[in-house]
Amino acid sequence: MSNPYRVIPATITEVIQESPMIRTLKLLPEEPIVFKTGQFVELSIPSVGEGPFTPSSSHYISDWMDITIMKTGFVTEAVHRAQVGDRVGLRGPYGSHYPLDKFAGKDVLILGGGCGLAPLRSLFTTMLHDVERYNSITFFAGAKSPKDCIYKDQVTGWRQFANVRFVRSVDVVPEGDQWNEDVGLVTKLLAKLDIDPKTNPAVVCGPPLMMKFGTWELLKIGFQESNIYLSMEKKMYCGFGQCRHCVMGKYYACKDGPVFTYDQIKNEEGIWE
Amino acid sequence: MIVKADDLFAFLTRCAKQELPYYSRVFFPQRPFTHPDTLVLGNNPDLGILEIDSYRPVDPVKLLLYGVRERVYPEPRKIADQLVIGVKACDLHAIELLDRAMINEQFVDAAYEAWRKATTIISCDCTATAPTCHCTLVGGNPYSESGYDANLARIGDDYLLMVATAKGKKFAQALQEHAHTTAASLDDRKRLAQFRKKMTQKVEKKNTKFRRSEDYSGLRKSGMEPWQIESKECVGCGACTHICPTCYCLILNDESKGKRFVKVRSYDSCQWHGYARVAGGGTPRPHMTDRFRNRYLCKFDYMPSNFDRLGCTGCGRCTDACPAKIDFRSAVHSILKSEKTVQIEIQRK
Repeated sequence: MSNPYRVIPATITEVIQESPMIRTLKLLPEEPIVFKTGQFVELSIPSVGEGPFTPSSSHYISDWMDITIMKTGFVTEAVHRAQVGDRVGLRGPYGSHYPLDKFAGKDVLILGGGCGLAPLRSLFTTMLHDVERYNSITFFAGAKSPKDCIYKDQVTGWRQFANVRFVRSVDVVPEGDQWNEDVGLVTKLLAKLDIDPKTNPAVVCGPPLMMKFGTWELLKIGFQESNIYLSMEKKMYCGFGQCRHCVMGKYYACKDGPVFTYDQIKNEEGIWE
Repeated sequence: MIVKADDLFAFLTRCAKQELPYYSRVFFPQRPFTHPDTLVLGNNPDLGILEIDSYRPVDPVKLLLYGVRERVYPEPRKIADQLVIGVKACDLHAIELLDRAMINEQFVDAAYEAWRKATTIISCDCTATAPTCHCTLVGGNPYSESGYDANLARIGDDYLLMVATAKGKKFAQALQEHAHTTAASLDDRKRLAQFRKKMTQKVEKKNTKFRRSEDYSGLRKSGMEPWQIESKECVGCGACTHICPTCYCLILNDESKGKRFVKVRSYDSCQWHGYARVAGGGTPRPHMTDRFRNRYLCKFDYMPSNFDRLGCTGCGRCTDACPAKIDFRSAVHSILKSEKTVQIEIQRK
């Protein structure tokens, strides 16, 4: 068995500043990293530390990888100081992935907010790769304000597909900002949903509060507990259930997750924190 | 086989002083001359008398197999073979659990595996009890029947050596080269059985006021109030988790230098506020009571479902180490008791 802590060095080839707090790194690892959408990797900034991040690029690409990161703490501040040409480390992939086979032929709802769009973009672009496999894809994306919206340059392209519906909403529009799409919490967009909630899957990722209320809202309108897929982000230090930081009762967020169905974890403690 | 106690101690002392070529390092419980009240795990016979029976030393054997700070990537360097003697049943229980956690189908901790392979474990029956010993409350006994390479049991002036593995056999052969041994008689085995029974009763008697339970699910069902009462004095120092023989939570530090990536693991404690905190400040266990409760649930709920083994070995080290003098046994007892009262009250209603 190879060392589970093995680090694959990677070079930053591009930095895209998505919003004041969020940037996407385009990474070129020294060897291809094959993953399934929804799985995560540990990104290390040499001599600073490492953290778990989900790639935001399609899983059909293994030669390079996009990772979208919000500035929130010690490691991510170092990420935001990093420049093109810098060397970083990658470990992984780890954890569970989105079950694309179960989504085939369905009307898939993707509900995300803030930096939670990162893993969802990976799922979404992976699905776009063979978009005819799915009956339809509805993507509801939320952000605090127009300037916090990420992946701005790609939205037009995503809206070209006949069976894809991409709707954006911002919480507030500060004076002077240009915005001609929806305004309000992303969960409010669910009122515009035109798919059958009883039989179709919903994927949720975003800030803890948004995930909590998003899930409750989905249950309210009739989604099945076993059809709601949550990407649970905890403090996943090691990535394979060894450090025990991400324990949620009998589950490890890193090993049994990060993708869980709501009925799997609804009785565990502290899932929304 | 039977060996005279004096001969055994002479052999062990010579091994420890590196006068014999069998092991690079030898660890054993000893009472330091400077602190004769404390039984520690040491490796220098000049610093204190060897005391291989008695009860478990302050230091868990975990320290020798799963270091406080160890490099895990790149692969750890080659390590020396070591002999640990006087390991008690509670620590063997812990090693069994650590083995399941560190060496399994999905994951192998290379450093732990290397230490484990290089270590010969000679256990000893307990002949005394520490005030906090409570192995019998968690399904254990003050003697070992498995998990060792060889076991030594004191019978009068002699020791009965029972060999279980190839490493144990190597130890027995080395011993035979330097000490006179005889075959154990039926009478020796009878005396041992009697003594073991007596020791078990002694531990049981010490713990009669605490609850022994086959079912610890009550801990999880209990409301928060008894937890708040029990954790009132807890300062969250984490001494209990660091001294616990089954706790192995780790922090992974990046100590890369230049172009070389280096990962080092060191102990972490679920009792600390920063333990489960994520970037941005959120934590699933913000209060001391939450973290206090997490340790008990980990031992009696999470670890059993992960490893099919209770996470508590009954060694009582956490109670000894606690600066707030919180008795682990009595906390478990009170919380289980309170759960029962809650149930009865519900039935009455």
